[in-house]
Amino acid sequence: MTALFRLIGVGGVIAYRALFNWTTPAMFIGSLLVGPIFQLLFFAYLGRQLGVADDRFYIVGNAVLAASLSCVFGGTMAVANERRFGTLGHVLLSPRSRTAVFLGRALPYAGNGLLIAVSTLTVGSLLLGLRMPVDALPGLLLTLAVGSLACGFFGLTLGAVGLRFRDVWVVSNVSVALLLLLTGVNVPAAGLPPWMRAVGEVLPITHAAQAARRLVAGEGFAAAAPALAAELAVGVGYALLAAVLLKVFEAESRRRASLDTL
Amino acid sequence: MRTLRMIAVGALLHAKQLSRSPFEIATALIVPVVQATLAVYLFRAGGEPGRLLEAAVGAGLMGVWSSVLFGSGGAIQGQRWQGTLEMIMLAPRPPALVILPITLATALTGTYAMLATLLWGRVLYGIPLDFAHPLLFLVAVPGCVLGLGMFGLLLASTFVLMRNANALTNTLEYPIWLVSGMLVPLTVLPAWTGPIAAVLPTTWGARAVREAATGGPVWPSLGICLAISLGCLAAGALMMTHVERRARAAATLALA
Repeated sequence: MTALFRLIGVGGVIAYRALFNWTTPAMFIGSLLVGPIFQLLFFAYLGRQLGVADDRFYIVGNAVLAASLSCVFGGTMAVANERRFGTLGHVLLSPRSRTAVFLGRALPYAGNGLLIAVSTLTVGSLLLGLRMPVDALPGLLLTLAVGSLACGFFGLTLGAVGLRFRDVWVVSNVSVALLLLLTGVNVPAAGLPPWMRAVGEVLPITHAAQAARRLVAGEGFAAAAPALAAELAVGVGYALLAAVLLKVFEAESRRRASLDTL
Repeated sequence: MRTLRMIAVGALLHAKQLSRSPFEIATALIVPVVQATLAVYLFRAGGEPGRLLEAAVGAGLMGVWSSVLFGSGGAIQGQRWQGTLEMIMLAPRPPALVILPITLATALTGTYAMLATLLWGRVLYGIPLDFAHPLLFLVAVPGCVLGLGMFGLLLASTFVLMRNANALTNTLEYPIWLVSGMLVPLTVLPAWTGPIAAVLPTTWGARAVREAATGGPVWPSLGICLAISLGCLAAGALMMTHVERRARAAATLALA
């Protein structure tokens, strides 16, 4: 069991470092920490001008959403970049569980997403003047962590699709755009048609944003717990889906000898 | 005349090349429509159904900017990955003249975003396309696209030395959308953003297109947009020559 956790933890961290070897601190800060803050400001000012919702709605929603960019693209990269760098065959030749190897990869991305979400929430609150109850902070941190983890497994699911389809980045780009629209982060869920709300229910972020808003409003952890549990369920669902897809597509690519030819 | 022909043929060639990329096609087909839908629901939620045309036009402009930004950021990187960057830089023409058609082609393909958001809004949400100046709209959009293409050259030139400029471009999408007033009016932004907005061609291009759609003097805005863009073109050409020489001297063109 220790070996399995070591494989998941250490393997995930090493893969994360290897796949992000090209980045620099300036690039990390610029694209992952500063970018989401401008996204938050864009929607906050638009929301203010249209009178859709107050700043709190946008700060909290976009802070939770901020984790999605790195998690979704990170999860996709965790699988797709192996093919691009020519190392996918080596990973799939490993005598260890590839399910554990790949699921472990979502963890560093989720940690990264949590850092980005916390940074966006902090800076957004300071810039736009959001006050929140101190006793809500532990619950808020847990909510952001669960949301990031769910996004990480969602990204890994998309990455698994990359074992079958070459242009998986199209799916990632479109998914990130759809998260903006369908999760009720920027448009209040009541303003969306029922089918969009239904799709949003099975996407990451939706329930985490609801839980975070309840916590920041001072409603307490008990009020946020159902939404938090729903987000956790969504995350576990995507982890299972990713594991199944990875297994199926790996077997398929071996059978058809199409791993590097797709 | 030969230079203009080279730019036109180059822009057409790169537009054709972009049109063969499943990634470019799928992203360009879907993302602007998602953004337009978001804008429509936001304006509806805000009780502003009368401004839906403004929302569709704004979302279209956002799509044009995204196309220019990612296209310009990826212009150098794409050539580098294809192994054609050195050949481009060896061409017996100033490097700016060889890169400009790439940025113009990305702006050209970005016009799809404007068409898509307007059609999407008309067909699905019944937004009436009652332009205040329909003919001027047909002038303002290409003018804005041309201006953004020239601005793209300045961006592309700054990305020559960066190995992963495409990662940095993510950072520039929302700030320009915000400060240029594409969807959020500049009047609701803090006063210090005013000077920044005033020097960006995107601000004036967006204003010209919006004025053509909803009413206002289009020509002054379009003129300022093109004037600033020409300045960007000149600055981009100088910068491109400078960084190209630097990259040659350091032998880092393919690696930078």
